[in-house]
Amino acid sequence: MKSKWQHLATFIILASVVLAACQPAATPAPTEPPVPPTAVVAPTEIPFTPMKFEATSCDYGGILKSIEAVDRLTVKFTMCVPDPAFPAKAAFSAFQIYPTEVLQSTGGGGDLIEHPVGTGPYVLEAWNRGDNVTLRRFDDYWGEKAKSATVVFRWSQEGPQKLIELQAGTVDGIDNVAPDDIAKVQADPKLQLIPRAAFNIFYVGFNNTYAPFDNEKVRQAIAMSIDRKRIVDTFYPPGSKVADQFLPEGLLARPTDSKWYAFDPVAGKALLAQAGFPNGFETTLTYRDVFRGYLPEPPVVAQDIAAQLKANLNVTVKLVQMESGAYLDASDAGEIKGLHMLGWTGDYPDPTNFYDYHFGAGATKQFGTKWDDITSRLTQAGQLGDEEARRVIYTEVNDLLKQHVPMIPMAYGASAAAYKAAVVGAHASPLGNESMEVMYIPGQDTFVWMQNAEPIGLYCADESDGESLRVCEQINESLLAYEVGGVKVIPSLATGYTANADATEWTFTLRDGVKFHDGSFLDANDVVLSWDVQWDAASPLHVGRVGDFSYFSGLFTSFLNAPK
Amino acid sequence: MIQYIIRRILYSLPVLLGIVFVTFTLARVLPGDPCRAVLGEKATDQVCDAFIKRNGLDKPIPTQFVIYLGQVLKGDLGDSFRQGRSSVAILAERLPVTIELAIAAMILATIVGIPLGMVSAYWRNSPLDVVTMVGANIGVSTPVFVLGLLLEYLFAIILKDTFLRLPPSGRLTSGLVLPSLAQAWGLTNLTGAGATTIGFLSKLYIFNALVTGHWEILADVLKHLILPAAAVGTIPMAIIARMTRSSMLDVLGLDYVRTARAKGLRVRQVIFRHALRNAMLPVVTVIGLSMGGLLSGAVLTETVFNLAGVGRTLYESISARDYTVVQAFTLVIAVFYVSVNLLVDVLYAFLDPRIRLS
Amino acid sequence: MQTTEAIPIAPRARSFNPYWEAFRRLRRSKSAIVGTTILALLGFAAIFAPVLSSYDPTLPLIGVENVTKRGPPCIHLLGCPSDQPEHYFGIDGNVRDVFSRVLYGARLSLIIGLTTVSFAIVIGTGLGLLAGYSGGQADNIIMRFMDVLQAFPSLLLAIAIVTVLGPGLINALLAIGIVEIPTFARVLRASVLSIKELDYVSASRALGGSSLHIMLRRILPNALTPLIVQGTLGIATAILDAAALSFLGLGAQPPTPEWGLMVGQEYKNIFNAPHLTFFPGIALMLTVLSFNLLGDGLRDSLDPRLAQKGFEGRV
Repeated sequence: MKSKWQHLATFIILASVVLAACQPAATPAPTEPPVPPTAVVAPTEIPFTPMKFEATSCDYGGILKSIEAVDRLTVKFTMCVPDPAFPAKAAFSAFQIYPTEVLQSTGGGGDLIEHPVGTGPYVLEAWNRGDNVTLRRFDDYWGEKAKSATVVFRWSQEGPQKLIELQAGTVDGIDNVAPDDIAKVQADPKLQLIPRAAFNIFYVGFNNTYAPFDNEKVRQAIAMSIDRKRIVDTFYPPGSKVADQFLPEGLLARPTDSKWYAFDPVAGKALLAQAGFPNGFETTLTYRDVFRGYLPEPPVVAQDIAAQLKANLNVTVKLVQMESGAYLDASDAGEIKGLHMLGWTGDYPDPTNFYDYHFGAGATKQFGTKWDDITSRLTQAGQLGDEEARRVIYTEVNDLLKQHVPMIPMAYGASAAAYKAAVVGAHASPLGNESMEVMYIPGQDTFVWMQNAEPIGLYCADESDGESLRVCEQINESLLAYEVGGVKVIPSLATGYTANADATEWTFTLRDGVKFHDGSFLDANDVVLSWDVQWDAASPLHVGRVGDFSYFSGLFTSFLNAPK
Repeated sequence: MIQYIIRRILYSLPVLLGIVFVTFTLARVLPGDPCRAVLGEKATDQVCDAFIKRNGLDKPIPTQFVIYLGQVLKGDLGDSFRQGRSSVAILAERLPVTIELAIAAMILATIVGIPLGMVSAYWRNSPLDVVTMVGANIGVSTPVFVLGLLLEYLFAIILKDTFLRLPPSGRLTSGLVLPSLAQAWGLTNLTGAGATTIGFLSKLYIFNALVTGHWEILADVLKHLILPAAAVGTIPMAIIARMTRSSMLDVLGLDYVRTARAKGLRVRQVIFRHALRNAMLPVVTVIGLSMGGLLSGAVLTETVFNLAGVGRTLYESISARDYTVVQAFTLVIAVFYVSVNLLVDVLYAFLDPRIRLS
Repeated sequence: MQTTEAIPIAPRARSFNPYWEAFRRLRRSKSAIVGTTILALLGFAAIFAPVLSSYDPTLPLIGVENVTKRGPPCIHLLGCPSDQPEHYFGIDGNVRDVFSRVLYGARLSLIIGLTTVSFAIVIGTGLGLLAGYSGGQADNIIMRFMDVLQAFPSLLLAIAIVTVLGPGLINALLAIGIVEIPTFARVLRASVLSIKELDYVSASRALGGSSLHIMLRRILPNALTPLIVQGTLGIATAILDAAALSFLGLGAQPPTPEWGLMVGQEYKNIFNAPHLTFFPGIALMLTVLSFNLLGDGLRDSLDPRLAQKGFEGRV
């Protein structure tokens, strides 16, 4: 039965097996928890060599000029141009502080993504991929110790699923109650509903480097042909509103009396014909199927937009669903052709968070080529301190956005969190960063919180997804912070700051005796290095998870030594 | 016997080679640039040139295949781009759930299927027989995900306030923590293969709970496992029941059985001592063949019941364009499937001397 | 997961039509009767879908009717007030009529089943004939390749192929078709092998008949029986696999009214809108069941061995 061919083949296979197996085996890298320090030396006894990083000139195109550790507890930031919003930016989770030793030993990436070390009220105990993230209380925390000894983050992408678990008692709080379930939560005496004001925007975006969306008339035609009110009324929870501009309500310096294109499919069709597509065209609509406050049900909304465009403009839209992380990475790289659906929840209460991140000079390639008339105005407005002066410029920006249509603002989505009625300290943050350390159930030392998705990484400098940010905010802290459940900026690792007259120099005084989870003490070098690894693209520690550092780039316009 | 085993193993080697080749081709054929698929969109051309040289992607395809084969045999299945760690580590984490699910489903299918088949064969054409066979047909025809959802709805919603209530998702009620075996056995400072193995064993919650004596946790894990196992195991159960029934019927009609009964042996003795053993042969084959269906069903069931197992990870890796993980998992699953078939063949030969000697 | 058996039909000396005999047995087979009935209903629904459904399956009814998203079924005969528009199966998440979608889904599922199996039969038959008739190395290589294909669980292989080709209904059909090829290849090969050495084939060859002639006139008709049985069962598997792929988002894309896709989109809402999972799910089950029953009935009636024994109660 065995032919010569089979003999030969068997011999070859056995030979290659033997040859390959004879080489030394590679052992998979072990995952070990961070090593606790052996001895703790009081900070004042260690000689302090201050770090300083400086740009040789301000021509590199960014806002930062230098970051300097003046002494062990003082850090000074010098800007190339005035930046009045700097304190609000500095409070944001992308600018958290890490120990210099940890940054250096992890190389700015790798292990840092899964085992961050910080000063926060919770220490990372375990990240059980696919299942949960477990945090335990940090007993040497500089502030008021966390109320619950253990916090468990779980996730479920299915809105109704989360409510089941809350009702069953297996979780203590959930985020983003599904619109269909809000009435149920309100009617249940064992649960409490905490509404969250709509501090977000849902939009449909275009990348203007791909035809036919390189034609401004095409973008405008589509903007006129989607009935946004129908989408908000049908698919959003009560309290949501149709967006009249990119900035949500409640922001300072927000343009008033803004009017977006009225829903006028007839005019839209005429404009599209003018642009050269009287019979419509074929395109795609890309989205990710995750539940966010700004967009509770992406597939359903996507289908409705497709149906409307087909009916109103004879534009055939093929729907493309991508996985969340891959979608964000592709969108930042400017790879998504056709239409795409995305949104933004405010991180801090300033228009720069919305405008500069998306349309400023340092924004990603999401919308394609940037418009100079917009970027120049945004840079200008970011440097002014006077609210009314900024409002004037932002009104111009708003009109330009209406003309250029990089995106169609669709809705401000109201959302809500739900907790067991027994939870003390229950709150919902308009910025999406709930503070787990103030919440607890009397008599229980574990608090379980269920959000929409698993964190992608825990090194917040290189993440932009709210589900990741919320977790690392418990572990790491920034110079300043936002008040619990609100937007006001309060001291955190810095006890206070001063600025010079034109807001180009910001000096922060650090709190003394703050310990990191590994036992080392916070000093100014930690602050300087944590900022520098994001700022300097040539630094060997500028690694992260994918190396985007999109918040830094969006808020401070450019990296130092950025690759061309 | 030994000869037969060796023959069968050698026979499956070309098949294994073919599988490795298919997964190798898979990665080369997937859309997108391999360098950027692994290193990310930001990788510059210089970095990609270095990547291509380092991974031998500029060498001819046969050389690349041999290199890949070598890596596979050494246990290096590549690193996940999305999670930044080795595929083997991810596998060690996700495999336990699927294993528990598959074993539970198979046990359920066998324990319920075989007796049902026997009973149907014995009381042929009775109402019980008809109901069982119709039920089996319906079981085979219902998509696994529909069945899972219907079960979930029944036991988590309709029966919510009764003692029959079962949890709709997850492996363990949150708040319950099963300590790792390393902790329980006082093993510290494990590295490399040892750490991976202990981690793997710890994630086998049933094994872990049994060995460390956490009985309440064991009960909780089992409660969570019932619905998914029932969903995945229904199709094999139906097939096993039908197969048992038909082979029992075949055997019951054979001469030597009639002889045994004529000699006055009681029916039960006849069934268990003679008929069942011979009827088991095709059933063993069916059990082996059903493994493939179990693995397919696992993908769907893990999605419905929110379990982080191999099936769902494979599916998520596809969506996330994590091609190394896709390649690694596909390979492992196929090799596993081939091994099970091999085992079934050997078992079959063991049970039936006629096969061995042919 | 059906096993394949080679069923040789020995040539009969009498002019006795085996097919008519088989057909009479089929008519008596209960499972075939039930299966055919359900199938007939399904076919009726598929063909007359535009007439039977009062709504467009892809048109959202926002602004057209006063209905709520994910609304429950409203049947006037069963008590729903007559001022509300009638929707037998309720409304889905995009405010579309579910009954119309289920009807059009029948059309889609039948087409899916028939095309994939036809594709698999054509290619599988070709390969099986080649392997069985040529023997030797060609046989070895082809069968090894079939082994490799069958080494992967069918759904996972289909997922892998769709990953390479990209999601979409056509690619999903291609993937499922490829996955089904080995079954038919084996059936054909087994038939060929059982016939190849028989006297009347050698006689044909001695008389100068060409290989092609022998294959078509002698071997193919013999393989017809297992092909029919396997084909019917293969349609059932194809519909299941297509639904699974669409459920995972790799097959039919929205807004196509494919049953698996409908379940995949709405299963997360099973707790507050179970009808959206239930109706497409039951439709899937009934369709697959009908093909399985028909296949079983065909197998029982076309396999003379079983007919002789008469043991299997024809359920």
